[in-house]
Amino acid sequence: MALVHIDALHKHFGSNHVLKGIDLDIEEGQVIALIGRSGSGKSTLLRTINGLESFDDGCIEVDGERIHPHETDLRALRQKVGMVFQQFNLFPHLTAGQNVMLATRIVKKMPDAEARDLAKAMLLKVGLQDKFDAYPDQLSGGQQQRVAIARALAMQPRVLLCDEITSALDPELVNEVLAVVKNLAAEGITLIMVTHEMRFAREVGDKLVFMYQGRIHEAGDPQELFANPQTPELASFIGSIN
Amino acid sequence: MAYAFDFASVLEYREVLVDGTLKTLALTAIGTFFGLAVGILGAVSRAWKLAPFDRFFTVYVELIRNTPFLVQLFFIFFGLPSLGVQINEWQAAILAMVINLGAYTTEIIRAGIEATPKGQIEAAQSLAMGRAQIFRHVVLPPALLKVWPAICSQVVIVMLGSSVCSQIAAEELTFAANFIQSRNFRAFETYFVVTGMYFLLAIAVRQVMIQAGQRLIARRVK
Repeated sequence: MALVHIDALHKHFGSNHVLKGIDLDIEEGQVIALIGRSGSGKSTLLRTINGLESFDDGCIEVDGERIHPHETDLRALRQKVGMVFQQFNLFPHLTAGQNVMLATRIVKKMPDAEARDLAKAMLLKVGLQDKFDAYPDQLSGGQQQRVAIARALAMQPRVLLCDEITSALDPELVNEVLAVVKNLAAEGITLIMVTHEMRFAREVGDKLVFMYQGRIHEAGDPQELFANPQTPELASFIGSIN
Repeated sequence: MAYAFDFASVLEYREVLVDGTLKTLALTAIGTFFGLAVGILGAVSRAWKLAPFDRFFTVYVELIRNTPFLVQLFFIFFGLPSLGVQINEWQAAILAMVINLGAYTTEIIRAGIEATPKGQIEAAQSLAMGRAQIFRHVVLPPALLKVWPAICSQVVIVMLGSSVCSQIAAEELTFAANFIQSRNFRAFETYFVVTGMYFLLAIAVRQVMIQAGQRLIARRVK
């Protein structure tokens, strides 16, 4: 049984049919790279997996937690699915440590000392153990994004969604974030990432999913797809990136 | 013709002035505490369109912002007893101040809430936080911080406005002034002193509010 199972997923934004029947199975420990042009539906697909976008038809199941169209109670699902955003979205009034602790304390009702220890461990994992008391505006973009990763990991999700997490970073800060993600992949965390970092997708990804006009146009082993794209659309997309 | 000032005749009544000042401050403190509570409830109801409360608060805000405070006070003090609700001058004064400040702070705090970046809320949702938790921990503190200077100004306005409570015989500072000048017939000196007292009170209240904001909601003193 796949960890994430997506079945015949459809979504409309008004009259715009953005997801036209997505079927996707993701096994535990896999790293999935979602690629495609802007407007192809890749971010929307990612956001439906933790309920930030509703969908109109089909079904999503994560670790036995099944959601249907227009589901409103998504908290059980969201305990299993973490997310990291392009714009970091740290809470500006809280320190890095407090950002990481907040949800474990109030959602998981973890005692304060335990939540603090866990937050320290998570910040250590992303190499920011000395920034526990720093506020977001005292951190660089790359550091903020690593805190955001630590914050998501503290909830011990079964799957981590990454939505273009290096797109808002200065070029010299991209690698420190990718290095953290690479470590997570090596630890066996299941990752689904929308990315424009093709080299990274090829190196770290177990499966490449190319989206085109609301459909999965091509999917498979990243090395093979990059070397031998089967469709002209993927070939032209790879060409436009390189 | 030279006017001979006689401040000694005002100072004779210093106990009355101190008592009035304390009552003005007490009215302001209680009015601010509950007024802000009303403002937070009103702001979230309107900003997040929590039916049916959003409609109630819309009507309430318009009603209060478009009528004079004195009329609101009379409405409560003379109106409620007609409905069988017994109310003394202090209860009426506090209620009027809470209702008045609540309406203005509803609008002020709403602006702060609406300025919350959408990504902050999505991040909180993705951490499985519920709506109330998101409001309490993610939305409200930065929102209050952003609009705190406007809230401080509004509290000072309400404190100065509390002078009209003398009209229903609440013995606050303006009532004390009326009382003193009716005894010593030194209206100029009396109001001279009381004007100075209000001025200093306003500055003090603003400073206390700014400090309180930094202690309670600001993460650090800049």
